[in-house]
Amino acid sequence: MRSRVQWRAGIGTLIALLMVPAMLAAQDRRISGRVTRSGTDTPIPFVVVSVVGGAATSQVRSDEDGRFNITAPAGDIRLAARALGYARTEVAVPASSNTVNISMQQDVFNLSEVVVTGQATTIERRSAPTSIAYVSGEDVSKVSSPTVLNALTGKITGVNLQTNSGAPGGGIQMQIRGNTTILGGFDPLYVVDGVIYSNASIPSGRGLANNAASATLEADAVNRIADLNPNDIASIEVLKGAAASSIYGSKASNGVVVITTTRGQAGTPRVNITQRFGMFTPLNLLEERRWTADSAIARFGQNAAPFFDGNSNPYFSQMEQVYGQRDLSYETIADLSGGTNTTRYFISASTKRDEGIERNTGAGRQSLRVNVDQDLGEKFDLRVSSVYARNENDRGWNNNCNNYGCHGYAIAYIPSFINFDRRNADGTFIAPTIGVQSNPLQLTELGVNHEETNRFTGGATVGWDAWTTESQSLRLVAGGGLDVFNQSNDVWSPNDLFFEVPVALPGESIESGGRSRFFNWNVNGVHTWNPGSWSASTSFGLQYEDRRLNTFQIRTQNLLPGQRNVNQGTNITAAEALNEERTLALYGQEEFRLFDDRLLLQAGLRAERSSVNGDIDKYFIFPKIAGSYRFLDLLGEGSEIKLRLAYGETGNQPLFGQKFTTLGTPQLGGQQGVTVGTAAGFDNVQPERLKEIEGGIDGNAMNGKLTWEFTLFDRNTTNLLLSRVPAPSSGFNTQVFNGGKLKNQGLEIGLGYTPIQTSDLQWVSRATYTKYTNEVVDLAGLPAFFPTASGFGNLGRTRIEVGKPITQLVGFPLNEDGTRGRTLEQLGNTNPDFRAGFVNDITYKRLAFNVVFDWQQGGSVINLTRYLQDDARTSEDWGTPEGIARYRGYTSGSIEPYIEDATFIKLREINLALDVPQRFIGSIMRAGVETMRISLSGRNLWMLTDYSGLDPEVANFGAAAIRNNLDIGAYPPSRSFFFNITLGF
Amino acid sequence: MTSTTEVTRFSSPRFRMVLGSAIVAGVLSLGACGDFDVLNTNAPTVETLTGAPTRTILARAATGIFSQAFNDIGTEIQFYALYGREGYNLLGNDPRETGEQIRGPADPTGRHSGIWTGPYAAIRTINTYLAALPVASGMSETEVRASQGFAKTLKAWHIHRLAVRTGALGIPLDVDRSINDEPAPFVSFAAAMEAASALMDEAAADLAAGGSAFPFTVAPGFTGFSTPSTFLLFNRALAAKMLVRRATFVNCAACWAQASTAINASFITTAGLPGSLSTGVNYAYSTAAGEPTNPVSEPLTNNRLWVHPSILSGAQLKANGSADDRLTRKVTAAGRTVNLNDLIGTHKPTLYNSAANPALANLGAPIPWINNEELLLLRAEIRWNTGNKAGAIDDLNLVRVNSGGLAPTTLTAASADAAFVTELLYNRLYSLMWAQGTRWIDARRYGRTQQLPQDRTGDTRYENMIVPAGECTARGLEAPCTPL
Repeated sequence: MRSRVQWRAGIGTLIALLMVPAMLAAQDRRISGRVTRSGTDTPIPFVVVSVVGGAATSQVRSDEDGRFNITAPAGDIRLAARALGYARTEVAVPASSNTVNISMQQDVFNLSEVVVTGQATTIERRSAPTSIAYVSGEDVSKVSSPTVLNALTGKITGVNLQTNSGAPGGGIQMQIRGNTTILGGFDPLYVVDGVIYSNASIPSGRGLANNAASATLEADAVNRIADLNPNDIASIEVLKGAAASSIYGSKASNGVVVITTTRGQAGTPRVNITQRFGMFTPLNLLEERRWTADSAIARFGQNAAPFFDGNSNPYFSQMEQVYGQRDLSYETIADLSGGTNTTRYFISASTKRDEGIERNTGAGRQSLRVNVDQDLGEKFDLRVSSVYARNENDRGWNNNCNNYGCHGYAIAYIPSFINFDRRNADGTFIAPTIGVQSNPLQLTELGVNHEETNRFTGGATVGWDAWTTESQSLRLVAGGGLDVFNQSNDVWSPNDLFFEVPVALPGESIESGGRSRFFNWNVNGVHTWNPGSWSASTSFGLQYEDRRLNTFQIRTQNLLPGQRNVNQGTNITAAEALNEERTLALYGQEEFRLFDDRLLLQAGLRAERSSVNGDIDKYFIFPKIAGSYRFLDLLGEGSEIKLRLAYGETGNQPLFGQKFTTLGTPQLGGQQGVTVGTAAGFDNVQPERLKEIEGGIDGNAMNGKLTWEFTLFDRNTTNLLLSRVPAPSSGFNTQVFNGGKLKNQGLEIGLGYTPIQTSDLQWVSRATYTKYTNEVVDLAGLPAFFPTASGFGNLGRTRIEVGKPITQLVGFPLNEDGTRGRTLEQLGNTNPDFRAGFVNDITYKRLAFNVVFDWQQGGSVINLTRYLQDDARTSEDWGTPEGIARYRGYTSGSIEPYIEDATFIKLREINLALDVPQRFIGSIMRAGVETMRISLSGRNLWMLTDYSGLDPEVANFGAAAIRNNLDIGAYPPSRSFFFNITLGF
Repeated sequence: MTSTTEVTRFSSPRFRMVLGSAIVAGVLSLGACGDFDVLNTNAPTVETLTGAPTRTILARAATGIFSQAFNDIGTEIQFYALYGREGYNLLGNDPRETGEQIRGPADPTGRHSGIWTGPYAAIRTINTYLAALPVASGMSETEVRASQGFAKTLKAWHIHRLAVRTGALGIPLDVDRSINDEPAPFVSFAAAMEAASALMDEAAADLAAGGSAFPFTVAPGFTGFSTPSTFLLFNRALAAKMLVRRATFVNCAACWAQASTAINASFITTAGLPGSLSTGVNYAYSTAAGEPTNPVSEPLTNNRLWVHPSILSGAQLKANGSADDRLTRKVTAAGRTVNLNDLIGTHKPTLYNSAANPALANLGAPIPWINNEELLLLRAEIRWNTGNKAGAIDDLNLVRVNSGGLAPTTLTAASADAAFVTELLYNRLYSLMWAQGTRWIDARRYGRTQQLPQDRTGDTRYENMIVPAGECTARGLEAPCTPL
């Protein structure tokens, strides 16, 4: 007992000794002041005010009236003020003065926002040595969007965002700085409040029920980023280059998206309630060929004759019939935030329902988030984040199929003189007699393609300012979190659907889904040393990540009529797959700031081992080095030009299972045997390695009215995961190996300009431009090959070939004389020439207007929807010169006329908002409402394109390593309109 | 330093220490991070055979080895039938079936590759199994010998099949090597066949020392041949067949005598005819869930498989003027004529269809692997070539009379060799048609491929199958290649 007391006392003494310098540094001078918005008397609450060069712990926050009180050392000092949405501001406070007013400029270009440089370190974007895209929460929540990613479109450089179809509930892929892999994982890593967040796409059984060729890939799956409520987001940082993302090691070659959710601010509790009402309508629907009795009878025989009795030109817009749902969509969001100086909380709840344009389709999401920040004394702080989300969708029956049980095929093959809505007296549909055995309207009424996901994501971070002196500090941070979800899909294709009637095993029910569990933890130390004219920061730590995904499927055919339980059929098959991966990483990083913060140098090293590598004990090293230098006042007072250069390496882990040679399990005589499988694993499989050099010139001038960011990058992926064909006499068909090289090069430009900035009127204009090209440099001796889901036969496919873009589309060309060429040639490239975005925010007094345009120039899209219509002779332009010219491709076997330019300009977002003046609020609402904002918003309202299909932004195969712009009866694109009202209490 | 008691409490050294230790303890407990040796639970991995194999898993590997012997039989029957003009595929969904496969030239990436990759995949499993047997737990010495005898029998058979497939081009033999090594070198037709025969004899010695029972479930189709001593009869039957083929294919004069020894040790019998003609081992199919089904049985309405017209016109007549019973038993008129690219089909092979109604497929029908009828024909061939010509004619007549319902042959011991061969090949075709590509293999054995029917000018009568493209590219050779 005695010894324990002594020990305890000893520790106490030690800690007390460590704290002596901090105590000695404390002085009795108090400075008070007020922070206001530049040019106005509007107070800015919650501004963090600190003494420049002082300890981090001495900072204070301004109150709701913008006032603050801070303890500062004697003598001339400088105070720094930081607040969300405002430029970091420093003011000098002479020794003689104890009051100061700080006037802050709005940071319209987010230069003062901090972005991550490591597990526990951040930097202001202004100084960052790499290009890191930053989007504030306000920019993603202004206009209702299906997923967070949809709301990023047009707003950041270096990324290519593509929706897979127009289906409600998401399905969008983000590619950062090009294609870096062929067989490996292709998705960026998502990190939400420090928790690694799954963006898995788990397909429903829709493709199976429709006999699609690649049933699982073509099911138009939702990627699970859709579970994240955009309204909870405070900021999104996209770590694009290898130097920035190497802090996530071998999961980072596709980039890292770091999402931070909103946290509470000290002050009286505030409540915001937003209510949205709106509707989805088609952005584009296809016309169909108009028939005469003669042409119809010539094509379909005498069965067609009755349809022309009494009407010589019957025409039904079948797409309007199927995609004619115009139900009311809504979203309700409520949040509560507040707290004391030591405890801050943010609680938000939301529920939404988007009604799709296809009958009986839609998507809904409910979520409940609780974020709590607790300071435990002056040395400890605890941040807890948690969110539960429930997400469901009905995505209908679209994309490829082989039984006319999807709308694209049925509409193509059933001529426009057929009314889908013909019913018998009892309400059932009249059996089809013309075209194919299917009725899409019947399918929308009887078929089920439902998905529900329940998800919990939670994490906690504890920080300990273990040691603080005037010039040095040591902070230890430990954090971790868990992300779990259960997705379940229910597909039912009942027996009485017309396309089920003639098949051998009519009626199909599929229960499928997945269970995902990710967890990760990390411990980090950050030592900063700031002797005055320069500073150094050393960080080091340990990270552990565990990812597990279990998918399953039960498929039943030959159902008992009317039944949908998977037990109620004769032919039942089951499938299950479990993927698991564990990574342990050690890292260290050093950062120097010299010449009054003008020069920044960073170097880091990360070593990690993973269970998916062939050698599970081997640590793979991922280094980075980066530097930036800021030239001040070159272009006038307050201007800044930053030169930056960075080199980094990241990896892309092998997929689970690539190292294993599994056994085949054939059945014979009632028992399962084992045989050596035909795919040989690679027992020394290693991560792919991305090496990237990026450089840029950033700056701002004209008192911050003009800002720019130019970036050039050159990235090479080596050690690619590839599959070769060994000599078949070895007994194996394929073997994964590492080798080859891919190259991506690009240019990113971000521009910002504030043409007008007065106290009444502010106009902020931003533009983004992204261009990148890619090439297969080396395939380690492999001949050109078609990767999985590269397309259909000779109907335009992606082919991996040395010296060609990885995104090339090949097919037989169409000769002048109408014959097809004899060899496959490159006919297109799915990679666009460039992507550009234009964002304009105009605020006049209480009115705010925002508009976002998104422009994709070039790239190719394969219009197989048109190909199907030509096959069925139902294209709108059938018999016209254009139709005839294209049809030569169909008859000769050339896909060239069906590969079209994918250029588009879309009006992604538009929003007009009014802050209702206080005096009106009082007259229309009962007491308690402090603010009220009403707005009208729209998404995807307008599109300009020469594409003859519905939408050149389409991907039949969903999220894939290689963009595959394949249009084959996708869910049509829709526009959405919302009326929004937000009340603040 | 602070004024509120709450903060004092959190700032106390004690609190800091407690929290600090909690963090450290938490991290250390988390530090027991999961095992990095994450196994694949989706399917067994090869380590279950190469690591510490058990008696149970090796029993399942034996089932797998049996299963792989079934894998490509359907492809082999169809392909060899086309090459030997036992019939045509007139489905019309793939131009290669009347083009490349009949007209030629052979495409190195064609579907014949399956008859190469399949047996080699089976050999990979067998080699893995053979390596596991000596280190397996729970198996007695005799059980190991019995297992070795079983596995080597099938391995020898696969090597032999591969050698016959590719003929003079030779095959890679020494394939029991790492996938990362250079591909195995090609050996000549004769060397490959000799190696297969030697392995068959090794297998026989193992089976003889293999005790009374196998330590695994013998596949259905081996009824009566499911113990080491009875499996040995099957081994000897295959050995005799392989030796006869060696004797004819590569002029192995010594092989006739060895074949004679082998066939006498097989299950050949003249007792119980005609019922005992079908005694033997089958590839047994089943319509039970998950079981392999007969790959060449199809309803009469299907347009895929057709019997070559020469088989219809070439059948000998019985005393009553009707055709050889073997033809009427195995072939049915479709009631329609199919003409695809000038190849004609009128009759379909229905030997695997429902016995009660040959118009219906029977997916559970067995395909003979080797049976007494074939053994009698083999013995006729052996006897003719080992000086017992009268015995040879006796054996031929046993088949003619009991299987075909024909009168005894008019050949005598004094007949010319060529006349005997013609009569032998006639009987082999009608007894073994649509079961093992006998017409093509026999024509090759006796240098008669160019006497096979040619229905269109310019069609190819293949002497062998070519080496698959993958085997060429893996050696840095342009396909088609002749690596030997």
